[in-house]
Formats: sequence, structure tokens, C-alpha cells
Amino acid sequence: MAISRRVFVRSGGLALVSLGMDPLFLDRAAYALSGPLPPSPDRNRPILVCLFMRGAVDGLNMIVPHGDPLYYRERPTIAVPSRDVIDLDGFFGLHPRLAVLKPLWDNKTLAAVHAVGSPEATRSHFDAQDYMESGTPGVKATSDGWVNRYCQHDAEHANTPFRAVAFGPQLPRVLAGTAPTLAIDDLQAFGLQLPRPAARDRLTRAFEALYAGAQTGLLATSGQESFEAIRLLQRANPLQYRPANGAAYPSGQLGRSLLQIAQLIKADLGMRVACLDAIGWDTHTNEGASDGQLAGLLDELAAALMAFTVDMGERMRDIVVLTMSEFGRAVRENGSGGTDHGHATAMLAIGGPVGGGRVLGRWPSLDVTARFEARDLAVTTDFRSLFGEILARHLGATDLAPIFPGFDVAPATFPGVIST
Amino acid sequence: MRLLLVVTGLALFGVPTTDPRRSLPASAELSPRDSALHALNRLAYGPRPGEVDRVAALGVMHWIDQQLDPARLPDRILARRERDFAVLALDAAALAEVFKNARRERRRESMEGMTPSSDAIGQLLQVVGQVQQLAVVRAVLSERQLQEVMTDFWVNHFNVYSGKGADRVLMPVYIEHTIRPRALGKFADLLLATAQSPAMMFYLDNWESVATGAVPPGVDRPGGRATKGARGPNENYARELLELHTLGVDGGYTQRDVMEVARLFTGWSIARPAQSGRFQFNAWAHDAGEKTVRGVRFPAGGGQEEGIRLLRLLANDPATMRFVSHKLCARFVRDEPPDGCVDDAVAAWQRSGGAITDVVRAIVRTPDFWSAQTIRAKIKTPLEFVVSAVRAVGGEPDTTQELAEVVGRLGQPLYMEPSPAGYPESQEEWVNSGALLHRMNAAVALAAGRLPGVTISLDGVVAPTDEPDTLIHAVDTRLLGGILSPRSRAVMREQVDAVRNRVAARALAVGLALGGPEFQRQ
Repeated sequence: MAISRRVFVRSGGLALVSLGMDPLFLDRAAYALSGPLPPSPDRNRPILVCLFMRGAVDGLNMIVPHGDPLYYRERPTIAVPSRDVIDLDGFFGLHPRLAVLKPLWDNKTLAAVHAVGSPEATRSHFDAQDYMESGTPGVKATSDGWVNRYCQHDAEHANTPFRAVAFGPQLPRVLAGTAPTLAIDDLQAFGLQLPRPAARDRLTRAFEALYAGAQTGLLATSGQESFEAIRLLQRANPLQYRPANGAAYPSGQLGRSLLQIAQLIKADLGMRVACLDAIGWDTHTNEGASDGQLAGLLDELAAALMAFTVDMGERMRDIVVLTMSEFGRAVRENGSGGTDHGHATAMLAIGGPVGGGRVLGRWPSLDVTARFEARDLAVTTDFRSLFGEILARHLGATDLAPIFPGFDVAPATFPGVIST
Repeated sequence: MRLLLVVTGLALFGVPTTDPRRSLPASAELSPRDSALHALNRLAYGPRPGEVDRVAALGVMHWIDQQLDPARLPDRILARRERDFAVLALDAAALAEVFKNARRERRRESMEGMTPSSDAIGQLLQVVGQVQQLAVVRAVLSERQLQEVMTDFWVNHFNVYSGKGADRVLMPVYIEHTIRPRALGKFADLLLATAQSPAMMFYLDNWESVATGAVPPGVDRPGGRATKGARGPNENYARELLELHTLGVDGGYTQRDVMEVARLFTGWSIARPAQSGRFQFNAWAHDAGEKTVRGVRFPAGGGQEEGIRLLRLLANDPATMRFVSHKLCARFVRDEPPDGCVDDAVAAWQRSGGAITDVVRAIVRTPDFWSAQTIRAKIKTPLEFVVSAVRAVGGEPDTTQELAEVVGRLGQPLYMEPSPAGYPESQEEWVNSGALLHRMNAAVALAAGRLPGVTISLDGVVAPTDEPDTLIHAVDTRLLGGILSPRSRAVMREQVDAVRNRVAARALAVGLALGGPEFQRQ
């Protein structure tokens, strides 16, 4: 049920003035919104999309070290056969179900970072996700997430409700904090839903007044953000979005989330960071090799990522998509055709600014003596160095110290994911 | 009401409001109605129309005592409604049959894209949906409210993701026979029951966990999936048992302990998983070697009893008492509970040998439970919001899955949390702009009689009237327990004033009340 644009634009216009926003917004408010929005200065701003693969993805079967015989020895049933691996550089290769991403490797907009992870030894999903989202491994008391801290210290970009958005029903840890952030479940359903526009408008204002009067705290601030967001989102015209360039997103939550991110980026509402989740990576049993459980998940991941890059087209020049996961999985397969929790994993970076066509990070080898606790791939790149490089070199963050407190995010430690 | 405002005012200015008489809770400082409302918000899913007065008249501590002894509370209305849920009539074998038939129809792990195109798959989806809806219906209709709250707490604490394979059909027995009967019993019994539940064994893969190199006896067992391909211990259950069910991640254990615990539970499995859904200990799969867990020695030659021994040790461990008490206090008192409350809970645990009623009773007798910093300091989860809203208007949920789906759309699809940690308790996890809008929409729809899965009749709750002040006052006292702020009252009055039709005005007032900030708090 579409909310009447005319009504909201009227009240939206006034509200935008009171927020002190760019007057260009008001001009746009005068459009009947039947055509595309005129280009705004926001168009060429950098954007980061963080895709959290929840459950600890098996980096070794994702970016396969097929040049290392130990890989095959330790995984008699679940190693990806070398004939199926899509070779990248003679040592590493892609899992066959990531094949659709190979052109991005070839045109140097896809890089992998291997042996990346947390210095913390925990193998608890719960804790490790917490640490990767808070950006302070080992410290449980941190109340906010690293993306929120980036927003807190980001004076450069406009303070719009859409600066940092998560796609899903719950606000993830990484966006928690004092800077306002948004969780959107479904762009089309975002807002109050009543059949008649006048009643809807009145009701929205009533709720807005109620939440404005709430005791200070999370309810009040979240409430206020809701209404600012509704106003701005009307202009994104969610119901008429068509992916560009023939992009075909896979059905399912992942495809839907990336499609909505694409939509929101094109609406030019000031989004800088988008966060989404892919679930199901905890392959304790029956992981499979070229086919099977992990393969199916990688298939969906690759299709969704590819659709996004096709849909964004030229705008990928300003976008970096980064995958991450709380840890990796043990080198040796377990007794159930799967893998137990491990340590280091692999992360992918896709986009124009990426220094692609390379597997980054220092490969520690799979020798037992080089493994973490003699069982897992060792971490040679701290995830904060990777995230920090992207914040600094892509999003233009000038001071990383408050974003990753207690860690020296020195450029010397950057893995080189952003081409300079 | 005024007394509460004074108490609140003092609290905001940092004057402590603890009751020096520790034998009585600080409810002595709250009016009977305010105490009743608070108890109904925390120990139940919110009041039904007139219930605040009823509980106040009964005496809130008396009501709490009744709730702590649910077997003595008649629950006829719910009992009649439960007959509508066919899933309750299916035993483990029948449920296993449903799953087997569905799998034959569709040989895939995930239900993505599964439509009820065949009877078999339709039946499977019905089982899952009915279990979810039953939880909502019970929460709305049961007189044994605390039992429902505690069942929800424990199902979440001992989380099982019912979207994983056979767990779809193992869930009904898990809830009905493993958790619910023990929700107000002894923690040690509950822990053991979950460890021996097919639902948990399947969810955390322990059913496949065998001693390294163990081989099943010669005879081929029909449907012996438990053993096909399994070659060694699986750590998944062992880890979550220590980290999430008992000691907590800081409770003092190492990776080595996890591995030893995994060895202890080898052989804890399911008898012919696709056929019976029954727990079975496979001696041939059990690692009978010597083990040491946190310095405690388990001599060689042990069988199933050593797992039971470990579970008893864990249940009685101070770290477990602390960890679980902390969670209980977070649920009942504050997201970050005060130490005093947790200490009292632990003390009651020790005194009673882990009797959950004693622990809960201790928590509600702490001054913390009744303090101004606690009252309305928590935000309702999506389940709590939907159920309390339906209760507030005396709504009647139906037997379809629609109301459960509403809870799911608000962010908490029941039993569908993939992480073993279950759904979070703290407000930061649930309060964000998108979620609030969903709640406002649900409130408005409910008030207008348009929320799927539930019928309401506001006539029995708030009479339509032409007088805005009367209407707002009625909504405030009958639905919100009298907590509407003057500002909110003014906003609602202005809205209602603009609506000519009395019925529409009432729906608007109720929708604003249920969707507004006051009602999000508990």
C-alpha cells in the first residue's frame, strides 16, 4: 500500500527545513516524483557494504590453497578437488561455486584477504561475532560497534538518518551506539500503513509527537529517527525499483537485502555504510566439497554479489563490498564430514576502489607448527587492519584510533585492499 | 499513582529508594495497583482488562504465590483451545512420519522455496506453524502466566533452531515434554532433560558424535543415519553446554575441557532418527577412556552415567548458578541487573538445590524488583509486545499461524533463532526505527480489528463516547494501567478530537496507546 507521495512531500518539505538539510532536498520535494531524481552531490561519495557471514565460514574451502598438499591430506573427503578449483594465482583458487565472480578477479575489482581474523582465541560464535562487531576483541564491556564509532567521528558526511543502515529485523551490534543508525527490514513496508492518505498522515504526526515526548533514551531517539527516515524514504519510491543492466538477484533473504541496498544507494539519501547478514555458514557436519552444503551457500552468495555489482554498474567505482566472518574452521575435517570451529578465515573485497586480482595477507602455511594451537589456520592480518584500511582509504576517516581503541591501526599493517 | 511519581522523582535525583525492612519487598512503597501492574508486566504477559484491579484486590504477593504453583490454577479456557491444535495429538513417531514423508517429497535441507504443493510438505509446515501459534495462544490465554513466561525463558536458554532439518518435528515434543513440565522445577532436571532430548542432540549435532574410530555393531540397522559417516567426536554440544547452558563463557573452562566433555557425550544419540525421535545411548559409540574435566577425573570404563554425573556437577557449580541467575534477573529486573538481585537469586539456588520457584521467588522479593529504576525500565520483546497488546484489549487469537507470523515480522519468529544463544534480552537488540514502525502498524491494525490471526471486541473494554477526555481516560486506565504522561494525553486528545465517528475515535485512541512509547515498556 503506497503512501500518498504528495501528502508526505508537503509535510516532508517542512520537516527537512527544520533539520537544516541541504536546500536541494526541498527543490526535489517539489517534483511530482514521477520521474527519476536529479543527480545530487551525494552521487560520488564512497560507500561501504559489510556482509557478515554468520556462523564462521570455512575460508579454506572458499579461497582454496590448492597448491598445498597438506590441504588435501587433512581433508580427505571435503577438500575441493584441484580439477574443480578455479585457479586464481597458481596456489589459491576459488571454490567452483564462486565461479561467477571470476571476471571481477580478472578485471581487478575482486581481492581476497586470507588468514585474517581476530587475535582473540575464542571459538565461541557469540563472543567472536561480538568482538568483530564491537571492534575490540577481548573486551566485552564495549557498548558500541565500530561502524557506529566511525559515524560518531565522521564530521565530513551529512548527518542523515540513512548514513548507516542495517538490513534485517534487528539492529546488529556493529551499528549500536550513540550515532543514529537504522535497521530496515523491508523498504516497501517502511512507514505507517493505512489505506487513506489523510488519516495516515495525521497518524504519523501523532505518533511522532508521542515519541518525541517519551522519556529520553532509546525509545525517544529511535522514534524520532523513524519519522525522519519515513520522510526521506518516500522519495526513494520503493515500489517502482527495477534492477539495472539486467541484474538478476537470487531469491531469498540475501538477494533481497542486496537489492534493497542497491535501491537505497541509488536514492542518494546519504547512506555511507550498509550492513547485512548471510546466515548458515556453521558447517559442523556434511560440509561437502565441490557440491553440498557449503557449495550451495557459496552459490547464493556469489549470485547475490554479482547481481549487486551488475545492478550498481558504474557506481561500483565508489563502492566497496566487504565480506567478513567471526572466525574460520579447523584445517582438519572432523568425524562428521564437516569442520569444527577454527581461527583465521578469508574475507572478500569487491569494488572499483579495490586493488583486486590478488590474494592479500601473509599466508602462514598449513604446517602443523604454523597453525594456531596446532589445529587452525593462523591469523596473520588482524581484521582491524583490514577494516581500518577501508575506513581510512575508502571512506576517508582521518583518525582510526577512537574507532579501534587499544589497537595501533598503522598504515604499515594495512593489507593493501584499497588501491592507491 | 502520586506516590509512584514521588518515588520516581526521588530516584531520578539519585535518592535511594530501598526498603530498610528486607523481610518485605519494597512494594510497600508502591500502591497496590502499581505493584499489580508491575508484577503483571514482568511475571506475566501484561494485564487483561480489569486484571490490575483484580490482582490488586487479591494482593500482589498472593497472586505471585499462586503463579508459582501453576498446577493449582485451573486453566479451562486454554485447555479447550488446545484441542484445536492437532500437533498436540501427534506423538514422536507420528511426527517423525510427517518429516519422513516431506523429505521424500523434497530432498533438500532448506525449506527455501518450499510451498505446500503437496500434502506431505503442507503437513510439515503445519506442524512448525502450529507449534509457533500454540506458544502465542498460550501466552495470551493461559491463567498460568508465569509458567508460560518461564517456558519461554527456558526454551530460549536451551535454544533449539527449529528450522534445522528434523528439528522441525522434534520441537513439539521438546516443548511439551522436555521444557514445559520442568519450567518451574529443578534446574538440574531441566538440564538433564535437554541433554537427553532428540531436539537438542540433533540441533547441536551430538547425535553423530562418536568415539574416534568407533564402529557400529555388525548388523545393518535400518535408517541408521546416526552412524553413517560419523568418525569421531563432535564438539558442538559440549561447547554450548558449557558456554550457554551452564557455566557461561567466563565460567572457567578451556578448549581442552570442551574436547573432554565432547568425549563424555559420545554415544548420546537418537534411536533411528527419522523414525522414532527417541533418545538413545549407543554404548558402542561411547568413548570409555579416562577423562578430566576442569580438574575432575572421570575414570576409564564409564558409560552413560558419566555424562549424567557431569551434568549434575555443572548444575551445582557456582558459576552456573551465577550465570543463569544473572539471566533470570536480566529477564525479570533489568537488562543489566544489579548485583544484589543476582546474589539473592544465587543464595536461593544454593538453599533450595536449584529449585526454580525458589530462585524466582527470591528475585521478586528483592527491593531491586520493585524499585523505581526497575519499574517500566525494560522494553518488551516482539513476543511480549504482541501478546500484551492482544491481552490488553481482551483479544482472542485464532488457530491459524497468522498471529505468530506477526510476531515474526516484528523480528522474533518463534524458535527460529539459528544461534544457540537464543534471542537476546536487552533493549538495544530490539529497539530501532524499523522495529518501532512495525509495532505502531501492528497496534493500529489490532485496534481497528485488522490484525491477522486475532479477533477483538473493544466494546467490552472501552465504551465509545463523544467525550475525548472520557475516552482518553478510559484508554489510559483500562489499557495502560494509568501510566499515560500528560503530554501523551494531550497529543491523543488532539487526535481524537478531530475524529467525528465515535467508533473510529476509539480505534484511534487504542491504536495510539498500544503503539506509543509507554506501552513498549514493561
